[in-house]
Amino acid sequence: MENELLQEDAQIVVLILIAISVLLLMAVALVVFFFFSRKKIIATELEKKDLTISYQKELLHATIETQEEERKRIAQDLHDAISAKLNVVSLSTNVLIDGRLNHKEKEQTLQHILAVTTNTLESSRRLAHNLLPPILENFGLQAAIEELCDEFMNSKSVTIDCTIAYSNILSKSNELHIFRIIQELLNNSIRHGEAEHITILLENNDAQVDLKYMDQGKGFDTGSIDIKKGIGLRNIESRVEMLNGELIYTSEIGKGATFTINIDSVNRNDI
Amino acid sequence: MLFLKCLIYIGNLFLIFNTILYIKALHRSKAFIIFTVFIFVICIIQTWMTLSSVISHKNNLYLNNVFFISQFLLLSIFYKFLIKKKIVLFIILIVLSFLGYQYSQNYRLFFIYNSIGITLTQSILIIYSLFYLYRSLIIEKPEFLLINIGIFLYLICSTLIFASGNLVFNLKIPKDTYLLLLKLNAFIYIIFQILIFVEWRTNYYKKTHK
Repeated sequence: MENELLQEDAQIVVLILIAISVLLLMAVALVVFFFFSRKKIIATELEKKDLTISYQKELLHATIETQEEERKRIAQDLHDAISAKLNVVSLSTNVLIDGRLNHKEKEQTLQHILAVTTNTLESSRRLAHNLLPPILENFGLQAAIEELCDEFMNSKSVTIDCTIAYSNILSKSNELHIFRIIQELLNNSIRHGEAEHITILLENNDAQVDLKYMDQGKGFDTGSIDIKKGIGLRNIESRVEMLNGELIYTSEIGKGATFTINIDSVNRNDI
Repeated sequence: MLFLKCLIYIGNLFLIFNTILYIKALHRSKAFIIFTVFIFVICIIQTWMTLSSVISHKNNLYLNNVFFISQFLLLSIFYKFLIKKKIVLFIILIVLSFLGYQYSQNYRLFFIYNSIGITLTQSILIIYSLFYLYRSLIIEKPEFLLINIGIFLYLICSTLIFASGNLVFNLKIPKDTYLLLLKLNAFIYIIFQILIFVEWRTNYYKKTHK
């Protein structure tokens, strides 16, 4: 009888032991689960960071490439438009100094020097203007874009429909970004898209600035452009990034391209 | 019985060893200081408990009450620094007032296993440890991760063992059977001490030896 009682009591201890074992098993399972989840979460976080870093690297490369392209262009312009012409002036002046020319020839040479200098002056003015349009500084973004459109329409066979209702709510440096974006888009449409008609729409309310740009050129395949973006498009992207804005572009081969850029004017950073 | 004693002594020696290591490695993190105080206090209580059982063979269950109350107090403050939530302090106040009320109602409770007190304080500590475990998910290098896991595993087992203390002692059970429970507790206690040691070895060993 006593033995039976002892056994019954012992069963309670066994029960407690079983309960402890189950609890311990669950606790260990929880800890194992914790370690696996942690590993996965940290791997995802690392992946995200890697993506951000590679994107930033890409942007940096694009910026450096653009800078190099720009330097090359300026060097070329300086060489073609200024150095070459100044050489002509220098040669002509040397001929004049030699004094072997008759009166008529002297006059012709002087006329030539005057024409070349005027031309060079114009070239240097255009070069400086391209680097930083003074109209943007003096008369604002609207005037600068309108002048840009006029220049394009005068020199290329393109019609630009430009509607601007912008009330100077961005800083000067951000306005320069918008100007450069439009300049890049126009260059792309004409150089690559061979567009004949372009529409630009720039407007703003208190909270944001919206730019809509449409061309009816050759268009491009947005699927393949993602893999190998041109410097121009990457340049636009990095500028939109600097403006803390959002860039959406749609295009189909043969149906032109549309670019929409929305910039939050409240959170704008003045770079 | 001998095996159990061996387990308990190994656990205690490990605790003394860890306490020395942590005191030597002491640095300015508040959580680290509190944890060192915690192992120092339980080291004294454990040694006292062992000595009193060896020398006087008297009832030393009142030490068990001191043990779980100081454990709750110090580990709550430890988690207060890890979790950074003020509610921990309120919970300490509420639980201490509850325990004060319990002992004032029945002072003899101090000389037996206080099952409700042990279950309450240890469950709260388990919740803190789970909460900190959840927080460590997104931290790249969480502090006291191994110690937290050790506390979690040890408390889960010991809560049930301690809470069943009174029941087991009152039943007529063969000594060998209930010694099994104590052996299990002593064994998990050693694992807890090993985790504390590994935490020191991985995170604080280099800092003190540089």
